[in-house]
Amino acid sequence: MRVTANMSSDNSIYNLQQGRAKLDKLQNQVSSGQNVNTPSDDPISSRLLLEIGDKLRAIDQRSGNINKATSWLQFTNTALDGMSAVVNQAKKVAGTLNTGSDDPAIRQSAHDQLVDLKKQLIDMANTQFGDQYIFAGADNTTPPFSNTNNNYAGDSTQLSIEVAQNSVQALNVTGDRLLKGIGSNPTYGTTDILETFDNLIAAVGDNTTPSDVNAISQAAVDLQSGARQLNIATSDILARMTRLDNMNKLNENNKNTLLSISTRVQEVDYAKLGVELSSQKLAFEASLSATAKVTQLSLLDYL
Amino acid sequence: MGLSAAMEIGKNGLNIYRIATEVTSENIANVNTQGYSRQRVLLESAPPTLHNGFPLGTGVQISVVERYYDGLLQQQLVSAQTTQGFDTSRSTVLQQIEPYFNEVTNDGIGTAISNFFGAWQDLTLNPGGTSERQVVITRAQILSDNFQSVSKGLNDAIATQNATLVPLTDSINSTLTNIAQLNGQIKSTELLSGNANEMRDQRDQLVRDLSLKIGITFTENVDGTTDIRYADGGAELVTGSNAGAFSLDQTDPANFVVQLTPPGGALAVVAPTTGELGATMAMRDTIIPGYLAQVDTLAKSVVDAVNAQHSVGFSPTGGTNQNFFTPLGTVAGAAGAFSIDAGLDISTIAASGNALLPGDNSNALAIVQLNSTYTVPSGAPTATFSSYYSSLVSKVGLDVQSSKTTVSQDEAFTKQLTTLRESNSGVSLDEELTNLVKYQRSYQASSKLITTATEMMDMVIGMIR
Repeated sequence: MRVTANMSSDNSIYNLQQGRAKLDKLQNQVSSGQNVNTPSDDPISSRLLLEIGDKLRAIDQRSGNINKATSWLQFTNTALDGMSAVVNQAKKVAGTLNTGSDDPAIRQSAHDQLVDLKKQLIDMANTQFGDQYIFAGADNTTPPFSNTNNNYAGDSTQLSIEVAQNSVQALNVTGDRLLKGIGSNPTYGTTDILETFDNLIAAVGDNTTPSDVNAISQAAVDLQSGARQLNIATSDILARMTRLDNMNKLNENNKNTLLSISTRVQEVDYAKLGVELSSQKLAFEASLSATAKVTQLSLLDYL
Repeated sequence: MGLSAAMEIGKNGLNIYRIATEVTSENIANVNTQGYSRQRVLLESAPPTLHNGFPLGTGVQISVVERYYDGLLQQQLVSAQTTQGFDTSRSTVLQQIEPYFNEVTNDGIGTAISNFFGAWQDLTLNPGGTSERQVVITRAQILSDNFQSVSKGLNDAIATQNATLVPLTDSINSTLTNIAQLNGQIKSTELLSGNANEMRDQRDQLVRDLSLKIGITFTENVDGTTDIRYADGGAELVTGSNAGAFSLDQTDPANFVVQLTPPGGALAVVAPTTGELGATMAMRDTIIPGYLAQVDTLAKSVVDAVNAQHSVGFSPTGGTNQNFFTPLGTVAGAAGAFSIDAGLDISTIAASGNALLPGDNSNALAIVQLNSTYTVPSGAPTATFSSYYSSLVSKVGLDVQSSKTTVSQDEAFTKQLTTLRESNSGVSLDEELTNLVKYQRSYQASSKLITTATEMMDMVIGMIR
């Protein structure tokens, strides 16, 4: 084939361009640290990367949910511990007075103690997490209990949050299940703890009213089952916390797996790139030097 | 045959080698002229005369000044250029669109959708929280901005393609006119004398330029002219020295219609599918609207699914039947019209599933779960929001990647053909310089012939004295 100087220079330009493009792509990968910089670099991998990115965002969101839910449950647990302590305290008072007392001062003191304990119990049942009353169900903007009557002003809805895709976890314990002993699914017991308190207060009597021994022992029995009711609720809360903890670990595991897949696809192998880059650089330098040498050749220099 | 004949041959030689040098100098001068084909002087011995009973030559004469030209190569170049023109403009436009879908390194619609549903997740933990509600609205606003920006970007790209038709058809028309003019000049020049080599080169170059823009077929006529037909439909574009013209029906300013008036024919609508013109039409009418339709489908599904769930929920004050996004009528244009409903603010977000329970989160939870159910397209769902979007991104990526590959294949093929053409028709300076030396020596020799003949003549004249 007849070869002209223009053909050589056209070929040189074409090949230099190809070499430059390869160098540029390698340089881009090295500096960004990523194999895929635009969808067209690798459409299949970029689809995978997008889906992993989406899943990772969902997992982060659920981790956030779980963390907040755990705080909520810890608040609930603390309140339940306090309530158990109050009920045990009341049981103790009932125990010391199980045969009644003839001393009006002792009766009055026990009466006052029980009234205070009930107030404490109601304060705990009105615990707030942020601005939500945690024992008020879905009607959680107003206090569920008051000192004036034993009515439950909240609602019995179980609030749920998403902890894994399409998997929800109940969050709250409602005041009616806990202190009124009503409601189902879950149910902790059938004791109306508030009513029992009132019965006990009435049975103990005060400085003018004598004690009612039978009513005291009945109230002590009821308090015992009330304490069990609170314990069952506490174990329910602890079981939920354990589940959340497990879900969190599961999420972390999933996240690590997804991250390692994404890293494998997306992160460049610097050693491999380095070798490619230097061999490509060598090839490019060679073609530059060859171009410079060949394009200078002309018969003109010898005429 | 006397001494004068020898002088005559010498004079002829001088003349002819001067012409040969001129042709060489023309070649050297045009070494970098695009489309130039090298020319050569074909020499032949002049007809012999009978002298003293012997046939003796009368020197040299020029048979023809011809150009190196390969008609088959021209045909191949023309069709290769058409393919390259189509693929290159398609690839360029696709690469301009790709950044709108580049979620690999930037955030975009996909991230905005995840974040929007993430904000709803936060709301499930505190359905009455003012800040959580505000975040939901902010995330929805970002999602709406993303949809609108992509929609605007794609619509702008369509409008640009439409506007490109004006300069493109103008440039095609001027090329057609030039080819027709050159045809006329070549015909009249060659009727008078020899080959109009340079004009043929110019015309052939114009034909190759034209083939980048539209698909053509051409026939070379005996009288030196080239007739050109349109590959899409076969209408005549140039016959002899008459050129046809493309025009645009601009009745619909967003959608120009391409028309063609063949030489001496009537105006007709054409549907270009080849070359740059074909690529521009394909981008405007099919490819970009295809992506846009998918983005619209996604936008419509988000609006429909979220609205359907949101309107059955209740706000903290018990309000219900409130749309979250402005309801959309048709799929077309959905992404551009994607916006938050005018009646929505932090007090009307419906997180509750019960009119009397402001702290209930069941509706918020139901909206969260839309993100992992099949919701796209509306009506007959086959994908989740994110999987639909990922496959769109992947499709754009594949289109760009394959268009880049075809362009580099086209370039390699065209380069091979251009190299072949250059090999045949290109000027080699070394060769021309060698010829120059050769012709110079021949010129010297011819002049030596004349001086020698003169000396001999002097001798003869001296003898007479």
